[in-house]
Amino acid sequence: MSNQTDSLFRDLSDAVVGMDEKRTRQLSIQAVEQGVDALSAIEHGLVEGMNRAGKLFETEEYFIPELLLCSDAMYAGLDILRPHLKHEENQVRHKIVIGVVEGDTHDIGKNLVKIMLEASGFDIVDLGRDIPPQRFVDEAIQAKASVIALSTLMTTTMDGMAEVIQLLNKANVRGQFKVIVGGGPISQSFATRIGADGYAAGAPAAVKLVKQLIGEAA
Amino acid sequence: MSRDRLTPVERFAACQRGGPLDRLPCVPIVGNTAARVLGVKVSEFRGNGRLIADAQVAAYRRFGYDVIRIFTDLYTQAEAMGAKVHYPDDETAYLAEPAIQSADGIALLTPVDPFKDGNLPHHLEAMELAYRAVGKEVPVTGALTGPFTTASFLIGTENLVRLTLKNPAAVHQLCEVACKGALAYASAILDTGCTPSLTDAMCSTTVISPAQFKEFGQPYLKRLVDFIHGRGRAVTLHICGKTAPIWEAMADTGADCLSIDNAADLEAAKAKVGRRVRLMGNVSPSEIMLQGTTAQVRAAVRACVRKAHDNPKGLVVASGCSLPVETPFANIDAMLDAVREIGWPVDAGKLEMELAA
Repeated sequence: MSNQTDSLFRDLSDAVVGMDEKRTRQLSIQAVEQGVDALSAIEHGLVEGMNRAGKLFETEEYFIPELLLCSDAMYAGLDILRPHLKHEENQVRHKIVIGVVEGDTHDIGKNLVKIMLEASGFDIVDLGRDIPPQRFVDEAIQAKASVIALSTLMTTTMDGMAEVIQLLNKANVRGQFKVIVGGGPISQSFATRIGADGYAAGAPAAVKLVKQLIGEAA
Repeated sequence: MSRDRLTPVERFAACQRGGPLDRLPCVPIVGNTAARVLGVKVSEFRGNGRLIADAQVAAYRRFGYDVIRIFTDLYTQAEAMGAKVHYPDDETAYLAEPAIQSADGIALLTPVDPFKDGNLPHHLEAMELAYRAVGKEVPVTGALTGPFTTASFLIGTENLVRLTLKNPAAVHQLCEVACKGALAYASAILDTGCTPSLTDAMCSTTVISPAQFKEFGQPYLKRLVDFIHGRGRAVTLHICGKTAPIWEAMADTGADCLSIDNAADLEAAKAKVGRRVRLMGNVSPSEIMLQGTTAQVRAAVRACVRKAHDNPKGLVVASGCSLPVETPFANIDAMLDAVREIGWPVDAGKLEMELAA
């Protein structure tokens, strides 16, 4: 890796942390024009920047507004760099189906988890919000997902999380998926009680949890 | 357990004098759980002020807690300004769609007319009826959503928080129109005899930074608090989620009581702002009140009292947020009973010993 590409990666990373969407786009175009390896630019530039943003979020130097603008910059760069990935690099290893359970439209927490998982190289199928339990099951089977991630802010929808797991059991496919849950009213004890594989209190923690669960599965 | 010697109004007055009391004030924050007391569906509250009042008064009489709050959901003001709210058959309503999609729409919004728009007239009717029924013995409050939170329902939370960094002027414009409506609604609430009770959920540091709270939350809250003070009433401010970094800024709004979520610590709040404000909190509404046993409720109440019974400006034992609809009655009773069992004055040594054991 030349010093020049090194410094381009650092600039990309800085632009993402600095919430500078325009500069991230310019630098991504520059990377393409200079023939820099797209995967490296994504991993050492964009994702590195998003991970730094995630750390700042964990230490409460960044909050949701900052994290969202960083992700806007990251996605702007990804749009430019992804078409230049070599074919085999586009084969994503693990798919995650994510959504907010039916009866709730608070989706900012879900979106943060999605952003951080995407930055960590997972392929995300985002179902959106207010999603009936059966749809999580159907979509996960269809996508051959490894993980189902369920989010809610409302206690009224917590039963829907348990129902997803019951439906997976009923369809005899529970073993194919790791199910993780999160959101305001959710706790580890609730996750354990409904038979989920894990609970995470926030987006960066969710990434660690997924990595750990998938490591177990491998 | 035997019922209480003092009425809630007498109890709060005694608190102001420094005692003697029969027990600490206690507020399991009952919202739509009141529907369960009357055996009606939550959706029947929509557009039916009398039913809301009947249910809230019945719930107060059933449990004997210290504040009635006329509340069904946080969306009433945003709905009255054009946001679409979904009403499930028998659960709490939720936001279906914001009123506007981008900052371009802000100019089209107008402050609410509390006597005409959305469900506000019905809520005012509920406040008036509840106040008339029991206002002499128990404080009756009307839920008032803070301007920043209403703004988030008007334009969508993600939109709003992005704008706090990209177009702060637009956020102020939106908060301004929400604040004007909130002031009009606050005035109408006061006219019913009730006191507005402020909730500004999105101001939590779970969502925005302390600097953003100071810029977009606090100034509008302060205007509301000043207005309510001008009418001679004390104000409670509730912000959900994490709030530790903004306790001082919350107290700077002039609020008399801060209601804090279970994501925050009463002992730390006492150390930081206890000389300035009464504290209210903070048994977990989901993990303990909804899902816990009565023994867990009792233990959680004792922990709250141990942490903050000596708060210089006083403590109201409460749930950290509104109770989920299906919270078991036994757990609400257990909360009150635990407070009655502790009594007054609080035997701090005994609570400390439990902690050590």
